[in-house]
Amino acid sequence: MEGILFPKGVVEGREGLKEYQARGGYEALAKALKGSPEEVIQVVSDAGLRGHGGAGFPTGKKWQFTREAPEQPRYLVMNGGEDEPGSRKDRVLLENLPHLVIEGAVLGAFAIGAGKAYLYINAKYETAIKSINDALSEAKAAGYWGEKILGSNYDLDFEIIAAPHNYVAGEDTAVLEVIEGRKPQPRQKPPFPVTVGLFGKPTSVNNVETLANVPRIMLKGADWYRGFGTKDCPGTMLFSLNETEDVNTPGIYELPFGTPMRHLIENCGGGMKDGKKIKAIMPASPSSAYLPADKIDTPLDPNAMRDAGSMLGCGVVHIVREGDSIVDELVRITEFFAAESCAQCPACQMETKSLAMLMKRVQQKQGNQAMLDQFGKLLAFNKGKGFCNLIAMPGPPIESALKLFPADFQALLPNA
Amino acid sequence: MPVSQSCLVCQNIDCKSRGSEQLAAELQQKIAAKGLTDVDVKPYMCFGACQEGPNVVIYPEKNWYAHVKSEDLDDIVAHLAGAPHVQRLDTIDSSLKELIYQLLDTGVF
Repeated sequence: MEGILFPKGVVEGREGLKEYQARGGYEALAKALKGSPEEVIQVVSDAGLRGHGGAGFPTGKKWQFTREAPEQPRYLVMNGGEDEPGSRKDRVLLENLPHLVIEGAVLGAFAIGAGKAYLYINAKYETAIKSINDALSEAKAAGYWGEKILGSNYDLDFEIIAAPHNYVAGEDTAVLEVIEGRKPQPRQKPPFPVTVGLFGKPTSVNNVETLANVPRIMLKGADWYRGFGTKDCPGTMLFSLNETEDVNTPGIYELPFGTPMRHLIENCGGGMKDGKKIKAIMPASPSSAYLPADKIDTPLDPNAMRDAGSMLGCGVVHIVREGDSIVDELVRITEFFAAESCAQCPACQMETKSLAMLMKRVQQKQGNQAMLDQFGKLLAFNKGKGFCNLIAMPGPPIESALKLFPADFQALLPNA
Repeated sequence: MPVSQSCLVCQNIDCKSRGSEQLAAELQQKIAAKGLTDVDVKPYMCFGACQEGPNVVIYPEKNWYAHVKSEDLDDIVAHLAGAPHVQRLDTIDSSLKELIYQLLDTGVF
């Protein structure tokens, strides 16, 4: 299948500058620089590109808000924090297609009128950082960034930031805190970064995969991009089917939005290992609702997932096997969020720690019905609190599991 | 003598930074000095009222004391010995109290 990020014929392994140029690399930039930044925003908006980091905000709109914010200077930040357990899509792009990512970042920076762009990359990704660093050197020597890019009047400087790798360090305002030299703690929103961002100035924070889509959209046009995916959600997405070893061929797969989830699991992933049956699927691990196995044909697009009772997030698809305990899963998930809460918001601290403690008690057969009733009460009490969304993340997995698999909980109660 | 009341002292980051570890130790000493052998002091992970910490919850009696300082401990111990509850330290929102008391009632701690 033809892909957007990984089209037929793209080299295996790391793509160098010459190879990228041979398939039209940096031609989108040359084309864009001959026009206006507004034209770039228009094409990206017409294409219907949405953020691929999880929230799905329209990219053209984000760039327009940033460009129209009155303060100067403006900044572009590429978010390659990638702290979701099991997600490897950004790493794959940074390591293998560094020039595609860099061209996307230059186009984004040009669109919003930024003179400086920060490339925020998970510090654990040493190979990715080296790949981007080497590609930046090659691209600068070729005139693709720096002063007077390709003879235009546009100047752009890049800086790589090694990102701390705790979960909230990938939240967009926590990213800004790190670049400003502070701890990775989310800021209260509003104001949003598009108006008050890095150093208090308008800033567009864009995921790696989002930026990587831009060069081909610019080169081939909005209609071409809309040929992939669905009417409401055009394009493709990189899905990470690798968190567990439960499928025969785990990996990162680029698929058009709207592809049935069964295709990802059975065709791309090669089906379940040892013929095991599926008990549940979490389409956006670790923070989405579980779907029962009979929802395997749900299309991989944000709207269809929402209608099915879950979400698509950044596409880390996790499978629970028949026979596996959903409570063991939830102990892992609640302990993850309790450990990753940044300790800034009292409500988040209390909620995440209490959920983890309760779930552990249930797992250890020290629970009771009253404890099971507390999950919903804790989640309802804390709804809408906290600076960032972490406080809401344990909710969908817990509430969906209680609804779909009540017997798993009841079996662990001492009087069962 | 079996324990009839527990003083749960929050030991999460915020309360600790406000001296809750030292506070718990002092409270333990004062309870012993008063001869209250049926009262113990236990650490608790977080009551969700960090901005009003250090927090001490007396359970199962269900009295919540906030902004507790060293100089408040004599009044709290007097209360544990039978004096009326310390009104000036009772500042926590009732909905949060109810949530935490329900959680404690499940026997989770």
